[in-house]
Amino acid sequence: MAALSHATEHRFFRIAALLPLALVCLVLSLVGARADISFVKPNDMGHGGLLLKGSEPGKYVEAPALATDVDIQVTGPIARTRVTQRFENPSDAWVEGVYVFPLPDNAAVDTLKMVIGDKVIEGEIKPKEEARAIYERARDAGQRASLVEQERPNLFTNSVANIGPGETIIIQIEYQETVRQSNSTFSLRFPMVVAPRYNPQPVIAHTVEFDNNNGWGVVDPVPDRDRIEPPVQHPDEGPTNPVTLTLSLDAGFEIDRIISHHHDVRIERSERNATLTLKEGDVPADRDFELTWTPVAGAEPTAALFRETWNGEDYLLLMVTPPYGEVIATPPTREVIFVIDNSGSMAGESMPQAKESLLKALARLKPSDTFNVIRFDNTHEVLFDTSVRADRENLSIARRFVRALEADGGTEMLPALQAALQDPLNDTSRLRQVIFLTDGAIGNEQQLFEAIVNNAGRSRLFTVGIGSAPNSYFMTRAAEMGRGTFTHIGSEAQVAERMKELFLKLENPAMTDLALVWPDGVEVEAWPTPLPDLYRGEPIVLSAKIAEGAEGRLRLTGKSGGHVWAIDMQISADAPNRVGVSQLWARRKIASLEAARTMGGNWEAFDKEISQVALTHHLVSRLTSLVAVDKTPARPGGEDLTRTDVPLNLPAGWEFDKVFGEPVSAPNIQRANAGAYRTMLAMAPAPMMDANAQATGGIALPQTASDAPTLIAQGIISLALALSLLLVWMLWQHSGAAGLTIGRRR
Amino acid sequence: MRITQRLLLAAALGLLVLSGWQAGQGVYMNAKAELAQVLLEDAWEVTKRTGTHVKAWDWADTWPVARISAPRVKGDAIVLAGASGEALAFGPGHLANTPLPGTIGISVIAAHRDTHFEFLKDVEIGDAVHLEAIDGTLHTYIVDDLKVVHADASGIHPHQGGKRLALVTCFPFGTTEQGPLRYVVFASVEEDLI
Repeated sequence: MAALSHATEHRFFRIAALLPLALVCLVLSLVGARADISFVKPNDMGHGGLLLKGSEPGKYVEAPALATDVDIQVTGPIARTRVTQRFENPSDAWVEGVYVFPLPDNAAVDTLKMVIGDKVIEGEIKPKEEARAIYERARDAGQRASLVEQERPNLFTNSVANIGPGETIIIQIEYQETVRQSNSTFSLRFPMVVAPRYNPQPVIAHTVEFDNNNGWGVVDPVPDRDRIEPPVQHPDEGPTNPVTLTLSLDAGFEIDRIISHHHDVRIERSERNATLTLKEGDVPADRDFELTWTPVAGAEPTAALFRETWNGEDYLLLMVTPPYGEVIATPPTREVIFVIDNSGSMAGESMPQAKESLLKALARLKPSDTFNVIRFDNTHEVLFDTSVRADRENLSIARRFVRALEADGGTEMLPALQAALQDPLNDTSRLRQVIFLTDGAIGNEQQLFEAIVNNAGRSRLFTVGIGSAPNSYFMTRAAEMGRGTFTHIGSEAQVAERMKELFLKLENPAMTDLALVWPDGVEVEAWPTPLPDLYRGEPIVLSAKIAEGAEGRLRLTGKSGGHVWAIDMQISADAPNRVGVSQLWARRKIASLEAARTMGGNWEAFDKEISQVALTHHLVSRLTSLVAVDKTPARPGGEDLTRTDVPLNLPAGWEFDKVFGEPVSAPNIQRANAGAYRTMLAMAPAPMMDANAQATGGIALPQTASDAPTLIAQGIISLALALSLLLVWMLWQHSGAAGLTIGRRR
Repeated sequence: MRITQRLLLAAALGLLVLSGWQAGQGVYMNAKAELAQVLLEDAWEVTKRTGTHVKAWDWADTWPVARISAPRVKGDAIVLAGASGEALAFGPGHLANTPLPGTIGISVIAAHRDTHFEFLKDVEIGDAVHLEAIDGTLHTYIVDDLKVVHADASGIHPHQGGKRLALVTCFPFGTTEQGPLRYVVFASVEEDLI
């Protein structure tokens, strides 16, 4: 009896002991049941490709690209690219195609040509709504038409209507971009992965919801909604998707090295120029083309000037590259004012990141530098009366001050900013830098901008945006006005890298106080205004509009390492002429207007001006599109532009119904309605997006999940565990006592 | 034996305290969210009357800027300025870089999915959303789109289009994950729709 009860108790004990474990497993599996979601954003479309519309609204399949020819002309900082792609409609139906192409942020698409048979149709620039209406009318009338729209500043779509069965069409798009520069290396990348279907790795189909009408893009979180096999290439296509590429480089300076990183090239070069062709003639389109070139280090700044006469006016492009070598030799002494935001909005991850960034910056100061620290919430506090030497003692006081900061209170930025910009010492032998660390959670931007414009004086303002959703409009614009730079630190992991980039700029200001003296009597509209300082590794690129044939001597002055320098340039009417100089000017003007527009004010007026500039200069913009219509009707009446007519004789591996859906009695023509989404058959590995590209995909949204549910869930788990342990303990107590009694009886 | 038993008891009691603290924290956060809305009522009334920024309590880093309600799903909340973590603990936050609620453009309002914007999951296209703006004027919006977006690529360009609202919360609902997805309810002002 006693033994039996003991055994029962043992089993009970074991079950009781298992209970908490089982509970933990259950709850953990609930908590851990996260969907493993990967996304494709429209921005991730790392290549161009033709998407053919299917019958179900908004379903697409990528058409095979047969061949691509790329012609890139690099002129100083401008690269003009002409991409000619021959597409074939592999189906036996009339289809509407949508060609998606990602471009750099500053790319300006100005030309669209559609070649069908022996006809060339050139796109016209129209206001966006008008262009779309023209396109839709033509499409409904059975005419071939093409429409290029800007979805994001770095993502464009080209819709092509009424491509006949088995027909080949040629799309030619030209765009302009500025060459990227990092330190003394110039680089250019052409996204070449146009044929992801050759990518043998396992592919998940991603879906992207995308509405052409209002520019909304949406990521569908369901990764396997249309899980489809990557299609196998058509045997007739040959083994590769061949690409030919030619690049002519006019660097604007003496070139040291030219490197093609992923392709063998044939290079013919002189001092400042080079021509490249791919060695193999054509290559498989499976790697991006990337070219970098470096200048020969020079003692004096080199400058390049290009000119274009367009529409009765002259446009100039001026490029100045600072002499890096000399600058490194004489680092300037600095007076650095750190301003750190410790208001309540910085609570959480932002505060430690801001502190760590500031501590890193303190560590970079040299004993000859002076510094001060200001913290602010709804009050502000200046650490030292005036800026002090960065000796060990002062630095340790500052470090203690910073470490002790806690995020609390309101955000009254203006008094702190004014305190930082006050320059009582006016020690002109030092470079005065104000480093402002904040999330920018403020509403009185205009007031702050006025303070910067009125009080900045010789101080340079460097904004450091902390956290995942800083007010980057404010900080970018504030840095521009304060002739500094904006650095965004989105996570702990980025602190070291981003701050290092900033330190390079802070410690090596190559050129300051840049100013232009235009010839007398020449009227000028120049961008950017005002001229920024040039930091290590940056060239100045200036666009200007002047009267036709205006000539004279242009003087650019600045300070470099304590020396004043000036460059005189003869602006003659026969300066090297380059097509696209005017469009670069227009693109920069649009960018400036867009930036100003985001600052509020009368944005209908800004829209009008942006639209005006874009229409005049034939640029695709947020408000303007290119449209081309072939007046001759192509598709016979009665034939549908749908999938219902497409026989299922697709290449092996194409699971048609998964792509197109079950046949439905759809209306004649499918439109890109709200809620439409595109199915990519396969995606190349998504390219890394830079912060700018992300910013253009609409505003960033804040974290809207608190950890309350997690805490409660954890609380419940802990409670269950505790109760189970208590139960075990009680049973144990009981059984121990019972055992004891039994022992005594015996 | 005794020592093991005591350890077991100690562990049990320790866990009990931990569970109390964890659940307490979670409940406290939710309670704070509820309570703040009550405190905000007064501040909101004063705001509307005076047209000034009124802080509901002295150390607040934010102030009410609007009130939204969705009668069909019984949602109602006072919207605060800014979408910092602190503001969101007390009420829906209006993103500072978007137009003010009730003005032209897309006004973006975000809130936690488990408190103030829990009702968003029940909102359907065609639902009315009432907005009381800072000047006391009433606006009626009609929900016309429901979307799931990535936080870094919301596709929301606030200074475009007509008078709209975008109500944002975390997605998916009912999970504890702090993921990158956001659920967005778009609504257009009624007069634009007619």
